[in-house]
Amino acid sequence: MATEVKLPRLGQGMESGTVVRWLKQEGERVEKGEPLYELDTEKVTQEVEAEASGVLLKIAVQEGEVPVGQTVAVIGEEGENVPQAEKPEETEADETEVDETPQEEGSRAPERDAEREEGAEASAARESSEQVTEVRQPDRNGRVKASPLARRIARERGIDLAQLRGTGPEGRIVAEDVERAEIAPAEAPTAAPAAAPPGEVEVVPLTSIRKTIARRLTEAWQAPVFQISMSADMSRSVALREQLVELAKDGPKPTISDVLTKIAASALMRHRRLNAEFAGEEVRIHPSANVGMAVATDRGLVVPVIRGAERLSIQEIAAARVELVDRARGGKLQQADLEGGTFTISNLGMFGVEQFIAVLNPPQVAILAVGAVEEKPVVRDGEITARPLMSLTLTCDHRAVDGADAADFLRTVRSMLEEPGLAL
Amino acid sequence: MAELSYREAVRDAIATAMRKDDDVFIMGEDIAEMGGSMGVTQGLLDEFGPERIRNTPISEIGIVGAGIGAAMQGMRPVVEIMYEDFLTLSAEQIVNQAAKHRYMSGGQLKVPLTIRTQGGAGWSPGAQHAQQLESWFVHIPGLKVVFASTPTDVRGLLYSAIYEDNPVVFFEHRTLYGLKEEVPDELEPIPLGQARVMREGEDVTVVATGRLVHEALDAANQLEEQGVSVEVVDPRTLQPLDEEAIVESVKKTNRCVVAHEAVTRMGFGAEVAAVVQHQAFDWLDAPIERVGAKFAPIPFAPVMEEFVVPHAKDVVEAIQRTVQRDGD
Repeated sequence: MATEVKLPRLGQGMESGTVVRWLKQEGERVEKGEPLYELDTEKVTQEVEAEASGVLLKIAVQEGEVPVGQTVAVIGEEGENVPQAEKPEETEADETEVDETPQEEGSRAPERDAEREEGAEASAARESSEQVTEVRQPDRNGRVKASPLARRIARERGIDLAQLRGTGPEGRIVAEDVERAEIAPAEAPTAAPAAAPPGEVEVVPLTSIRKTIARRLTEAWQAPVFQISMSADMSRSVALREQLVELAKDGPKPTISDVLTKIAASALMRHRRLNAEFAGEEVRIHPSANVGMAVATDRGLVVPVIRGAERLSIQEIAAARVELVDRARGGKLQQADLEGGTFTISNLGMFGVEQFIAVLNPPQVAILAVGAVEEKPVVRDGEITARPLMSLTLTCDHRAVDGADAADFLRTVRSMLEEPGLAL
Repeated sequence: MAELSYREAVRDAIATAMRKDDDVFIMGEDIAEMGGSMGVTQGLLDEFGPERIRNTPISEIGIVGAGIGAAMQGMRPVVEIMYEDFLTLSAEQIVNQAAKHRYMSGGQLKVPLTIRTQGGAGWSPGAQHAQQLESWFVHIPGLKVVFASTPTDVRGLLYSAIYEDNPVVFFEHRTLYGLKEEVPDELEPIPLGQARVMREGEDVTVVATGRLVHEALDAANQLEEQGVSVEVVDPRTLQPLDEEAIVESVKKTNRCVVAHEAVTRMGFGAEVAAVVQHQAFDWLDAPIERVGAKFAPIPFAPVMEEFVVPHAKDVVEAIQRTVQRDGD
């Protein structure tokens, strides 16, 4: 029995995903649990594991956006009959590949012969479509299987058959597919355009992540927010951190951010109105501090979450942080890594930013923006002295949080940073 | 309007021509007193007498040869070959003589001969008495070939065949003899070489001959319930073929099935498929499907005979293949 691989719903609210690339080829053996393809969702790009063992009989969607639940591939037993949609003609490169896996020969060779027999019919039209196909889909320089009528209609209306998906037997493009294409033109391929020559505007289509950032932050902008800021003397926190680094030995070395995460989590437990979501008619106050940390990656901003940070030691937070950041930069985050945050910390200190204002991460009601720790002159006991200061700027959703609540929370954070023992 | 069976319609065409024209006469085995093996010529002896309703010895080559001679002398003979399987015995006269004289004499001679014959499966007559051999004769330049499927058509076409100045091999299907239909009181000749659209449809054209016309109509009715609109075209004359009508229909429906009782391989349907793919290539949305008998002698056992020759369900399946979509 063939198993249809359907696009999974990886998180609440996920409606579609973009197949980025396949890690297995058609005809290749896959084991249940092996990574099968890369899926780009609104939040992450992650590898999706095979749900069944067998031979990858068909890849229905090579790449592109697909609604949740749609079949993207079929796994079954070798030689099992599946409709063979859009199977690209074997190129010489493919031949080599097949030779490397001789067990495929039996089932695939006759298929190719059959295709060659039909090949003459399509060869004429191939010439015209091939050029376009190569530009847009370099991996599909094969002939397009289409009925003569579909070809004629496409020719008359200037539609590129290579961009269509056939619904006829064995994936053949039939007239109806072309008619439909005219009504709803095929979505433009998402492949990155070639580098623009100097002087021209470079058009970069938004990735799923970028689109999500755009959508969510536009939403956030509608929230009535206010900001308050303080500076904390970081002397003790820096000293604590140095101690912890010494103790860490082979383990991950804690950073000021890890100290801050721990302290913020402790402070949130004492000011739980800040550890909340604004949900229209109600505010949901969470029992545990799931602290999101904004991480810059070359794909865009992601905010993986450290769960129950108030219960973790700074060492444990450091370990979790190292793992999440590594995965984020490697594009390996799972949907679950990004869900359930109750509060966010954004730290641009490592870039030398002294102070900044973060945009809310809805539906969370607060986000803390943290600058660099810098020696600054301060007045202590009537004397001007240099102290390592760090700016803390809290952005709050005024629908859920009032200024006094925010100030109380921020004062607690500052006190704890200045005297970490208070966090115990 | 009168109701005539296919059998009576054949008889009426012969009688009408014989009443009108003394040059028309019929010859064949047991056609006089017995009225023919299928009862087609019953009563003709009484009306026209033994001079014009002539029994012959069991010699198919002799029957056709005598017919050719009479035709070249100006008569319009209608000879009967009892079973079309026995055309093999008269093939020399049909293929080498009847089909060639007009050409070889530079038009000085004509052979206005009609060779009536019948055959087909359905009654379990066995491998030597149940074949459909029309494709042998459509392959011969100089012959015209007719295969009518309804009382109206067989009547009008046989009459035209009798008045055709070239030899016509005229096929009847034995299971159709009982088929009844309202026909015009006055015989209306139907010109050779004109197809008939038996049923109009939008999704697929079935080009069917003989018994399969009725199987195709049955299939069309079944599929109508599933929302598939089937057009059935009966060429009626296989040679010359009304290519225009067939191609026009396929250009409308974009799909084509050809269906006949004869063996599929190298059958008449192959020629139709070739014509369609060539003249309507850019209108085809699916490969042309063929329906016909399996490549085997017709078995005697009724259940096996039924298995070998095609029926409505085979037409239905072929149509479904042409309209099939992935996921169906």
